[in-house]
Amino acid sequence: MGKSQDQISNSEFGRRRWLKLGVTSAVAAALPGTLVRAQSAPPTCAPQIPQNHEPSNGGLCPFPIPWLDKNGNHNQAAMPNVELSSIYHFRGKLARCNAFRGMGTDNKGNRLAWGTPTTDYSYMAGEYWAARQEHQAVFAHT
Amino acid sequence: MTSVPSSGLTFSADGRTTTLQMANLQIIDQPRWPAMDAETNPAFLDFRLIFTATDEPVKYENAMQQYRFEGFKARAQLEATVRVPVIDFTFKTDPLETSQCDFAVMGTEVNGRYYEASSG
Repeated sequence: MGKSQDQISNSEFGRRRWLKLGVTSAVAAALPGTLVRAQSAPPTCAPQIPQNHEPSNGGLCPFPIPWLDKNGNHNQAAMPNVELSSIYHFRGKLARCNAFRGMGTDNKGNRLAWGTPTTDYSYMAGEYWAARQEHQAVFAHT
Repeated sequence: MTSVPSSGLTFSADGRTTTLQMANLQIIDQPRWPAMDAETNPAFLDFRLIFTATDEPVKYENAMQQYRFEGFKARAQLEATVRVPVIDFTFKTDPLETSQCDFAVMGTEVNGRYYEASSG
């Protein structure tokens, strides 16, 4: 019985912690859900292997900020006087916010608080440089 | 970071309000993060986020790190629904107007090779 209660408690803690982390922690691009074999399919922006001696100029993935991890989020909260973009070699419109807090309801009717100092959202809309050319795109960090 | 379809980001005519809205965004539920062995569940996120600029300008620049942000402090409000089907869990925030946010800015950014070009 004690074990069962622990399991329930752990499960509830997990859900609450998840909410405290914000409603998201990473996007599906990082999800290894399709890794059913030892080798995964490369992301579509990864460098392609040239055929017929064609030049190789790298992939279309945006550059991460050099001094941050490639998610750009878990080691630097948005605040004044820090790099707010998640990608390097970028120019365009950007907005960023964090430290959300609010209330919500789960499917069992429980009222739960959400948000922490790292509940962090942003968009970047404009031009970035990759594969030695300019690209137009809109990205969001959630 | 995820790509946003062109319909997902809209600007008001005066440029002072931006709405970012996405549905069925594939995410992960990882309650024990950042533990190295933290298990994940696939999850889905719908959200609507509205930025509204204030009149207070901001400029953050670091020549060593080659970035410059110029814009305004802003107000940001968020509403979202999260679904984790494998554990039959859904969470819906209260309406957007009830959310609060401590830090928000909106504006324009240049960094990397564009910073150098714009500084010349």
